[in-house]
Amino acid sequence: MLKSYLKIALRGLVKHRVYSLINISGLAVGMAVALLIGLLIHYEFSYNRFLSGYDQSYQIYVNESVEGAIESSNAVPLPVANALRNNIPGIRYVAECDWMQRHGLMVGEQKLYLSGASVGGDFLKIFRFPLLQGHAETALSDPYSIILTARTARALFGDEDPMGKSVRYDNRFDLQVTGVMGNIPSNSSFYFQYLVPFSLYEQSAGWVRASRTQWENYSFQIYAALDPNASREQVSSRIRDLIQDNSEGKVNFEPELGLYPFKDWHLYNEFENGQPSGGYIDYLQMFGLIGLLVLILACINFTNLATARSEKRAKEVGVRKAIGSKRKHLVTQFLVESFLITSLAAVLSLILVYAILPFFNDLANVRIQFPLDQPLFWIVLLVYTTLTALMAGSRPAWYLSSFQAVKVLKGKITTGRGTSRGRKILVLLQFSSSIALIIGTMVIYRQINYVQQRPVGYDQERLMMTRMTDDLNDNYQVLRNEMLQSGVVESVAWGSSPITSIFSRIEVEHWPGKTGDTPAGGIAFIRVTEDYFNTLGIQLLQGRNFHPDWQSDSTSLIINRAAADRFGLEDPVNQTITLQGGDQGTIVGLVEDALMISPYDPVVPTVFAHGQWGASMLYRLRPEVNTQQAIATLSVLFNRHNPTFPYEYEFVDDTYAQKFRLEVLVGKLAAIFAALAIFVSCLGLFGLATYLAEQRRKEIGIRKVLGASLSQIWLLLSREFIGLILLSCIIAVPIALYFIQRWLAQYTYRIDIGPGEFIIAGLGAVLITLITISFQAIRAGRERPVESLRVE
Amino acid sequence: MISIHNIAKRYRTDEVETTALNGLSLEVKPGEFVAIMGPSGCGKSTLLNILGLLDEADGGQFLLDGIDVSRYNENRRAELRMEKIGFVFQNFNLIDELTVYENVELPLLYNGIKAGERKKRVEYVLDKVQIMHRRNHYPTQLSGGQQQRVAVARAVINQPAIILADEPTGNLDSQNGNEVMQLLTELNESGTTIVMVTHSEHDARFSHRIVRMLDGQTVAESVLV
Repeated sequence: MLKSYLKIALRGLVKHRVYSLINISGLAVGMAVALLIGLLIHYEFSYNRFLSGYDQSYQIYVNESVEGAIESSNAVPLPVANALRNNIPGIRYVAECDWMQRHGLMVGEQKLYLSGASVGGDFLKIFRFPLLQGHAETALSDPYSIILTARTARALFGDEDPMGKSVRYDNRFDLQVTGVMGNIPSNSSFYFQYLVPFSLYEQSAGWVRASRTQWENYSFQIYAALDPNASREQVSSRIRDLIQDNSEGKVNFEPELGLYPFKDWHLYNEFENGQPSGGYIDYLQMFGLIGLLVLILACINFTNLATARSEKRAKEVGVRKAIGSKRKHLVTQFLVESFLITSLAAVLSLILVYAILPFFNDLANVRIQFPLDQPLFWIVLLVYTTLTALMAGSRPAWYLSSFQAVKVLKGKITTGRGTSRGRKILVLLQFSSSIALIIGTMVIYRQINYVQQRPVGYDQERLMMTRMTDDLNDNYQVLRNEMLQSGVVESVAWGSSPITSIFSRIEVEHWPGKTGDTPAGGIAFIRVTEDYFNTLGIQLLQGRNFHPDWQSDSTSLIINRAAADRFGLEDPVNQTITLQGGDQGTIVGLVEDALMISPYDPVVPTVFAHGQWGASMLYRLRPEVNTQQAIATLSVLFNRHNPTFPYEYEFVDDTYAQKFRLEVLVGKLAAIFAALAIFVSCLGLFGLATYLAEQRRKEIGIRKVLGASLSQIWLLLSREFIGLILLSCIIAVPIALYFIQRWLAQYTYRIDIGPGEFIIAGLGAVLITLITISFQAIRAGRERPVESLRVE
Repeated sequence: MISIHNIAKRYRTDEVETTALNGLSLEVKPGEFVAIMGPSGCGKSTLLNILGLLDEADGGQFLLDGIDVSRYNENRRAELRMEKIGFVFQNFNLIDELTVYENVELPLLYNGIKAGERKKRVEYVLDKVQIMHRRNHYPTQLSGGQQQRVAVARAVINQPAIILADEPTGNLDSQNGNEVMQLLTELNESGTTIVMVTHSEHDARFSHRIVRMLDGQTVAESVLV
């Protein structure tokens, strides 16, 4: 019986090629989109879960109440580590960690500048990255040891066995390789290339040693693993007040500690009310919804075409029933057909996904592998195909099998108003969701564009940054002079933060006109040279710049406009403010706001001080010099004054553009999926128009005999669809509006929604519809009436 | 074999109600060949559809082999159709996507007959209606007469007790028509009960008894010898 069903289905496929093509290609596109999004979701959910014991691993984070809102941060005081180790039941391992910045690694002539982590000894017990060589227990016991990833080991030592060999670290220490670990997979939140003991960090930096007892110094990361039988809730409540209980004297902002699960770092990377609550997961949910939607749109095509052409199958149903077929036989038969078509579409979708996966990986910055070798994938695919076949085929199967033999055999089948209304509702669903997607995509692009156009408050043109090392700090003046003399650079400065980030925030305890006794928190604090504002092109609005001699200017401060607003100072120059720790400073200048963190958020109130030690060198190339030549020249100078590090630089405009990466990605994906949604919908509409034109062939012939013109025939066939599309627009507007407003709400700096997108999307949809159906309408209108009337 | 009493059937559209059968009664004995005649719209086809369990009467009693089947649900009706009844239609009603062989085989598939047995029976029947040489052709590749022979073959493949034929020669020329009537006669002679609706006096003469209908009722009967 099954053979007979398959046979008739295959023959039908071949016989009605256009119909089959529309069905299979539409379903294939829908299935490919859903499959791709499914793979993306699977990949994102695999983040951090490849390590054994991942669900017992946590980062310690702190919540603070700042001006009525809870701010969450992963920067915590160092004494928390020992307190957790010694006093909190349920905690099994604790590891301190720095901020995993880049350091110089040198072996012979080979110099690398790579991200690495200084970690406490239990780090590898919390995050069980397997070691290829060495022992996790002991590899970091000696302060002068280092664990390399296989890639780093290879880059430094080539084919030699690195174990026991020496690596020069930051040109200060010789560390012995005590372990080699596998490379960090792409679906890991960690990106370090080597591990060094936290004890080295403590030994080499006095301030770190001092931090061991400072409960107010939030400068470290701390990780912990819980006992297998301890729950997050229990331990969280035990650690919550650790800082407040241990601090002497008054504690500002009511700090409370919490546990941030390792498995959630990637997906739940945003905090709300002190809890990880959303972030990337929101986008994944959105894409999941879109994938399902495109799949449903494709299934609707199948359903609509199958019921539209039901007349063609009616006789067969009648005959089968007359010779004894039960309804369940017919339902089975039509579902088998649906399964066959869906299976062909699934194969095609696999080919499609296989072909586009490399491009998608690049686009979405992921490393998804097609799991063709995993049996589970094929099982999931089979279930997926079956569900799709049921979704697409159940309504037609139910509908077609309901025909009464006696009626269809008499030729009296009526594809009743019910099915035609059903089809219209499904077309409405297709087009309203497609139009809503188009509107959404346009809004995303307009928002990105709007934010990209936002004035940044400084000049990014030809502006470069290099991270400063000890050598660069020591040799700064000489290097700066040589850079200026070389003729490729027009100005040089440094800051204690790069211009695209803020490394340090402070509290300002007092300012003129302050009411209440809460300090102003979250104020950016940046030490700069006197060339800083000039180099960056930040405009001085009031007062003066710093003097070249920093010592005579050591208590002078310059603030930005956002800080002046924050303190409510209209004329801030010559006013005195008190910084965290009681240091007083006099404001000597007011500068324009410069956008350093999120381009979607307000500018952070910033206090600049004159300083001696920088973290980021900032320099601007002369407009007339060739960039490649300038870099070659600079490379020589930097290598001379920073000999143990390779010359590395960033162009500020590139780094700034990175801030839009997620939004640009979302925009691109939304655009692609919206285009596919409208393509699938139009494919269905085309098929529907073909059948309806065919159904009305005789009517059109008679109308033409009676004198109807081509345009009248066109209008006859198009009118109904245009009405449907206009109705779809009306339905799409509130749906789109709801999602857009939710999405935009997360940005402080955002566009106002106007009617523009809605009108363009609506007109676009009507135009696409007209093009799609006109092909059939015109073909029907141009047929000689004798052809259509001869059918009788 | 077939016994109907006081059968009524009405069709309703939005505004009009048409009475197709109006208290009709009919007895058909096993092995009988009955022809039903009457002008267009007199209810012949409606009667045949009710006899074939394709349609339900609005009132009256329908006994098939002494069992009242008038209230059977669709599934039981389908089973009975498969078991007892073969249909021959004026417009053949073959499935275009299936070959001659597959069309004839179809009722056996629904009946759950094993492949070897199917092959034997299909070939036997195709041979009997002399269409074996066309077994792999599709219906659209056959003449009308050939198509109707295939339809007859399909009607008899399950060895039904009853064959219901709705103007079986209506779309055929006289030579092909005669061949089909000959085939039905042979079937009847081998014991199959036949009820045939026809407009043709010529065809009706192949039967044992002619029932004449008008306005949903039987108005006359003539027994042929």
